[in-house]
Amino acid sequence: MSTRTKNILTWIVTFVIMLIICLPGLWIILSAFRTNGEILTKPAIWIPQNLTLDNFRAIFGYGENVVGIPVASYFRNSLVISVTSTFVAVLIGMTGGYAFARYTFPGKAATFLWLMLSRTVPGIALSLPLFIIWSRMGIIDTQFGVILVYTAINVPFTIWLTEGFFRQVPRDLNEAAQIDGCTPWQAFWKIEFPLAKSGIASAGIFAFLTSWNEYALASQLTRSTDSKTLPVGLMDFTAQFTIDWAGMCAMAVIIIVPALILTFLVQKHLIAGLTFGGVKG
Amino acid sequence: MAKFLKSTALGMAAFAIAGSAAAQDYGNFDGYTLRVKLIGGAQYEPLYTLIPQWEEATGATVDILSRKSHFELDREMKQDIASGNIDYCVFSNHTNFAPQYDTMTEPLDGLIAADVIADFSPLVISHATVGDALFSLPRHSDVSNMFYVKSLYEDADNKAKFKAAYGYDLAPPDTWAQASDQAKFFSNPPDHYGTHFAGKDEGITGRFYEMLIAEGGKLLNDDMSPAFNSEAGVRALNFFVDLYQSGAVPAGTTNYVWDDLGLGFAAGAVAWDLDWAGWAAYFNGSDSKIGGDVGVALAPMGSSGKRTGWSGSHSFSVTKDCDNKEAAASFLTFLTSHDSQMHEARLGLLPTRSQVWTDVIAEFEAADNDFMVEVFSVWGESMANHAFTPPLIAEWGEISNALWPRLQAAVLGDMTAEEALKKASDEVTEVMEDAGHL
Amino acid sequence: MTRLRRTIRDNAVPLALISPAILIILMVVLLPLIFSFYTSFTNYRLIRPDSLWQWIGTRNYERVLGDWDFWVAFGRTVLFLTVVLNLELLFGLGLALLVNRITWGQRTMRTIMMFPMMFSPILVGFQFKYLFNDTIGLVNNGLQALGLTREAIPFLVDRWLAFFSIAFAEIWMSTSIFAILILAGLFAMPKDPIEAAKVDGCSNWQVFRHITLPFLMPFIYIAMTIRSLDVARAYDIVDVMTGGGPAGRTELLWTLIARTAYDDARMGRANAMAYVSILLSIFFTWFFFRKLMAARKHLGAF
Repeated sequence: MSTRTKNILTWIVTFVIMLIICLPGLWIILSAFRTNGEILTKPAIWIPQNLTLDNFRAIFGYGENVVGIPVASYFRNSLVISVTSTFVAVLIGMTGGYAFARYTFPGKAATFLWLMLSRTVPGIALSLPLFIIWSRMGIIDTQFGVILVYTAINVPFTIWLTEGFFRQVPRDLNEAAQIDGCTPWQAFWKIEFPLAKSGIASAGIFAFLTSWNEYALASQLTRSTDSKTLPVGLMDFTAQFTIDWAGMCAMAVIIIVPALILTFLVQKHLIAGLTFGGVKG
Repeated sequence: MAKFLKSTALGMAAFAIAGSAAAQDYGNFDGYTLRVKLIGGAQYEPLYTLIPQWEEATGATVDILSRKSHFELDREMKQDIASGNIDYCVFSNHTNFAPQYDTMTEPLDGLIAADVIADFSPLVISHATVGDALFSLPRHSDVSNMFYVKSLYEDADNKAKFKAAYGYDLAPPDTWAQASDQAKFFSNPPDHYGTHFAGKDEGITGRFYEMLIAEGGKLLNDDMSPAFNSEAGVRALNFFVDLYQSGAVPAGTTNYVWDDLGLGFAAGAVAWDLDWAGWAAYFNGSDSKIGGDVGVALAPMGSSGKRTGWSGSHSFSVTKDCDNKEAAASFLTFLTSHDSQMHEARLGLLPTRSQVWTDVIAEFEAADNDFMVEVFSVWGESMANHAFTPPLIAEWGEISNALWPRLQAAVLGDMTAEEALKKASDEVTEVMEDAGHL
Repeated sequence: MTRLRRTIRDNAVPLALISPAILIILMVVLLPLIFSFYTSFTNYRLIRPDSLWQWIGTRNYERVLGDWDFWVAFGRTVLFLTVVLNLELLFGLGLALLVNRITWGQRTMRTIMMFPMMFSPILVGFQFKYLFNDTIGLVNNGLQALGLTREAIPFLVDRWLAFFSIAFAEIWMSTSIFAILILAGLFAMPKDPIEAAKVDGCSNWQVFRHITLPFLMPFIYIAMTIRSLDVARAYDIVDVMTGGGPAGRTELLWTLIARTAYDDARMGRANAMAYVSILLSIFFTWFFFRKLMAARKHLGAF
């Protein structure tokens, strides 16, 4: 077998495996364009009889006799919360990571470990105490309250990735730049930051996906359109006696697509970032 | 279901507004904003389309802070109590859970005029009363009765075979023993089953509880210690165990709750279904595979001669911290008024005012809707004579959580009914100790 | 006191740099933990705010530790973590090796590989709840249509099938994370040793076993550490799929805690359980973290 045929064969095999893996997810996407009666039935209807955009129209409040879901608000909240918390987490994590990489100070190793371990606390154990404290502070059901929490849960991982990265950038570069007359800040910004860019990008995408999809905490800390995020909005499709599964699938598509596009765009950085960040140091 | 209710609701809304009677004086609260938290979902929302009428009549504005499902609202309410953050006046309540919210609830006895309360069904008002205080004003009630597929029961072949096998005529069941026979008779897995039941959460607790009562048992003793670990309890639990072990119900029934059950019956998957009134129109409608083929009957009797009738009412309450209790009371009166209840009753929800029962049946008769007339007659009988609530204590939810995993264990055959009830009883004892009852 | 002041002054820059991170974590993680630690010694029940001051000593812990169901859930959680993490690793490794061989259209393939990562855990829960439903579920319908079975398989009921189902859902969602991290490792790998080994006549398996795998180990431990950090996200999945039932057959610590806390409103007791579960997570993370450090040292890169 020539290398070429072998390559093509590998490609096909991989593609088929990927397809199988994606099937459950694709089922959701397909269901978004079908009716509840057609998806959940026995015997199953394998070939979609009629594809429809009604589920999407219903979400946006178009169509006869439908109560729309305030999806625009949810989307805005999700976007603001995820982007802001990712940005802040990367900023804080980066400065922290820089400190761990460049300086020695007493208790460094222990501090590092404890920062990591803070991430292990299950959301469910935090949600109620957080709720009580947040409501005393008056930041329940605000974007700010959720941003604060997401920032905190994303900081440890960001520190870890960026720490490895900064360690890999030779210390001399910064010193040389300072000798050339740069301030320490300029030296960092012009020399070290660009080299650590992929690490920061991959930390960013992980932080973004975590925030974008988080449910357990958001469901406690948000209540109204002021702060409810898309995953929490999914529960709008469940009522005491019914679940509008097709509607939920349509909403799922609205959640998944932006995340997918973003992931595709930062692909290159993602792989590079993970490569050097975590291990080499 | 959802779509059906919505479309009917909007059609009816126009009708209701046209016929709206401003006879009742709701007072004047010009410029006041009433903050409320309401239960959401397809079957509850149609009522809220009437709110502008109250706003117009009183000059007040209603600000709906939350509109979510029962479970989410319950969680939110508990959080509000925990954080002491109660800055609203009215909230959707439920008679069976009202005792949980007692620290935030203002009793209604002085707030709602006695003659208004007198128009409500006395049994339902008693369900809404905890101790001596009226905790909430019932909006609509719920109780389950029998739905069955008529053609299966009328089929001559089925009749003959059933008679041969069980020695009595095939007819909609009047006792749970008959219902059990019929479930086994009609079962033909995996395509068709005799019946199914709510198999988890409060669903199975409630079903067990009503069976316990129908078997002559009781849940708690007068001193609040558990009493369900009894012969009646074992009989009640074994009813479900037997159905499950004999394959008369789908194996997955232990994961089913209301939506699975309703959709399953509408899909024609089972022969009979003990279910809530809210489904009636959907079951017999065009979206259902058994549309036009649905019969209804009173919930059967247990061995004690008592019928099952686990019931409760959705209701509204006023908070203790409310800054304008008169406005809140006026709002409650409006939402549960004759016109409002007619609005909900037309959709198949069970009214709490005695007069509305009569009027809505008359309306269905006038419209030649025989099926709904029958539904309301059966459910009216059930609500008037057979309905009962769980013990009205704050710990009902905790008792339920102690019970249902054990009930499931018995149903699945992990332990015997006796063992399951013994374990559950020990746990409930602990719950009641923690709550300071024992 | 002066020593402390001197330490702070000498390390002013690094301390200033890490202080935002520490501050926000103190506020969002430590503060609630202190509060919940206190409540675990009280009879705190949500609907009785006064009970916050009802000190009951270690009764919650005694009851939790003496509760057989709790230990069953504990054991099942450990089993779940072990099974899930190992299988995710295995599948992730296979997937990464496969994608690594692709030369054309790899960027697209990588995005497809990460597809499940786009799904919110709560959505994954609903997805598999319907797929595995015993009457209308796609899996059962498919098997019956293909004539592979006449029975409706109770995926979410049977003791082992239910465990399998929740593990399957979790693995589906998280294998991508392993795959992407291991793929990063493969990318970083120097090509020379492999080619040299092949020239020396090593088989593919030998190359993998003695060159590729040792190089990948740190990446694998990183993936393990990261996953054990947030594996509690599986709570959303399990809660939607089975709620820990039926009859506690899929009860994990997290579902038990959530139900005790909210449905029972017994916060004190729930927090006592939460502390035990936090210790478990810390152990898992610590375990892999140690391994990671050792592997890093081994590579001589630290």
